Amino acid sequence: MKLHEVKEVLNAEVLSGNGLLSGEATMACGADLMSDVLAYAKPGALLLTGLTNPQVVRTAEMADLVAICFVRGKVPDEESLRLARSQRLPLLRTTLPMFESCGRLHGRGLQGVSERVD
Amino acid sequence: MGACTGEASRASPNEWIRTLAQDRKITKTQELVYEMKVDQVMSRDVVTVRPETPMSGLGDVFRGRRISGAPVMEDDRLVGIISLEDFIEWLYAREDDSVVGTKMTTDVDFLFGDEPLVHAVRRFSESGFGRFAVVDRASGRLVGVITKGDIVAGLLHKLEVDYHEEEVLRFRAGRLFKDVLAIGTTLCFEYEVEGRDFQRGGESSSQLKRTLKSLGLNPDTVRRVAIATYEAEMNLIVFTDGGSIAVRVEHGRITVEVTDSGPGIPDIESALQPGFSTAPQWVRDLGFGAGMGLNNIRNCSDDLSIDSAPGKGTRLTITFLMEGDGEAG
Amino acid sequence: MKLAEVVSELDLKVRTARGELERAVGGGYASDLMSDVIANGAKGDLWVTLQIHQNIVAVASLTELAGIVLVNGREPEDATAERAESENIPIMVSALPAFDVIGRLYELGITGGTSPDADQDERT
Repeated sequence: MKLHEVKEVLNAEVLSGNGLLSGEATMACGADLMSDVLAYAKPGALLLTGLTNPQVVRTAEMADLVAICFVRGKVPDEESLRLARSQRLPLLRTTLPMFESCGRLHGRGLQGVSERVD
Repeated sequence: MGACTGEASRASPNEWIRTLAQDRKITKTQELVYEMKVDQVMSRDVVTVRPETPMSGLGDVFRGRRISGAPVMEDDRLVGIISLEDFIEWLYAREDDSVVGTKMTTDVDFLFGDEPLVHAVRRFSESGFGRFAVVDRASGRLVGVITKGDIVAGLLHKLEVDYHEEEVLRFRAGRLFKDVLAIGTTLCFEYEVEGRDFQRGGESSSQLKRTLKSLGLNPDTVRRVAIATYEAEMNLIVFTDGGSIAVRVEHGRITVEVTDSGPGIPDIESALQPGFSTAPQWVRDLGFGAGMGLNNIRNCSDDLSIDSAPGKGTRLTITFLMEGDGEAG
Repeated sequence: MKLAEVVSELDLKVRTARGELERAVGGGYASDLMSDVIANGAKGDLWVTLQIHQNIVAVASLTELAGIVLVNGREPEDATAERAESENIPIMVSALPAFDVIGRLYELGITGGTSPDADQDERT
């Protein structure tokens, strides 16, 4: 799903990476704890999260995620914004809660990262 | 190997990298359109004419200078714009000679030099004009002319320059292994991590990742190393007063050694269980401490050895195997 | 919709409070941050999370949630399971990650409201 479709579906605001919305999210994961994201997320995934510290951006960098969408109207701090810009990582923000956001995107065909680690 | 390698992409590493590069180029162009300014791509060598210039003279001007239009200046002021189309229309009408002043477009649409290219692109598509005069915002003076061709040429040039720079960096770094005359070559990188410095957490792993990428190593390997190192770095920050990360890159293998003189791990077996965590509350509040750290490191790597005891500190030795020099492609 | 139906539709494994499956599920809430659930979770919500620490039981009781679904195959810690039994909080486990669990619940008509101060009556 292209990022501008994600933006539409979630009525999201673009915090950074306005020129990068033609990027493609190959799957999505929703989490407020980053360890699971590092374990399960694959390159090209969209991360939905309510966590707003710079570690979220670092996690996205390490895991090669395509973009981050903050839910529940959360706003990332200055350092996170700065890091995201230097990484050329798009940041979106929706006022919808996590449950609703994931539900809508899933309904539009975006898949989760369904592969367990054993 | 677990999820850190993912399914190691169905396409061959070569194909995958080529697609990545292509995607990056397209995205880069879009970015540049927003980043670059009109005055970076416009022609500064502006040919101008005057209102009293005869239309018959335009032919030579256009042909001689190979341009398709020119701003019309009255002394210092921009009073109009005259195009090749205007000239052809005049020719077609077979009128007597007249002056530019009577045929020019006076409602001059112009752009400021400091506007981003995306404005120019929009104006071109909205207006259907072939060129815009470019005016300096501060002085109000004509400083150049911009055509669609200028935009394309400017973007291509910048793309090429950026791409070339990246290539040079990659090339230079990647050759290290090939050009060095020795039985074996090892590259070592060292990082110091400060404890509790949550804001800067991940900086070392980020630097390592970029360095490994510029060495031209397999992206999948780079990813595994980055994730494992990041988890180790975060552990240093959360549980200790700090420590060091030493990375060795050699033929067939990357070794990451993480050392600290912190409290040590009392129960290593438990610590390796997913979900187990002794993270303090402030860490959980920050969204960490769900206990996947060591487990993630183990899943990403080919070997993990933990040397730790309470009071003794901890040393993690994480090994990643690569094929040959592990170079991409 | 009853919890029992959700369990069977999503093939969840019930770990605690098996007697509570006749409960009605109002909506869904997904978050791994306790303070957030307490602040924004609604009575009767089904909570989707990967947290397995015993604090989740306290939060579920306090907020009067319908139950907790753990994702990525996570199992509740022993202390968590014990506490959940004594407080009658159903804890269920799914092998799927949060995104997919939420997606499936959403398909069943369990929605998550529109924004943190959405009108509760809008939920099924």
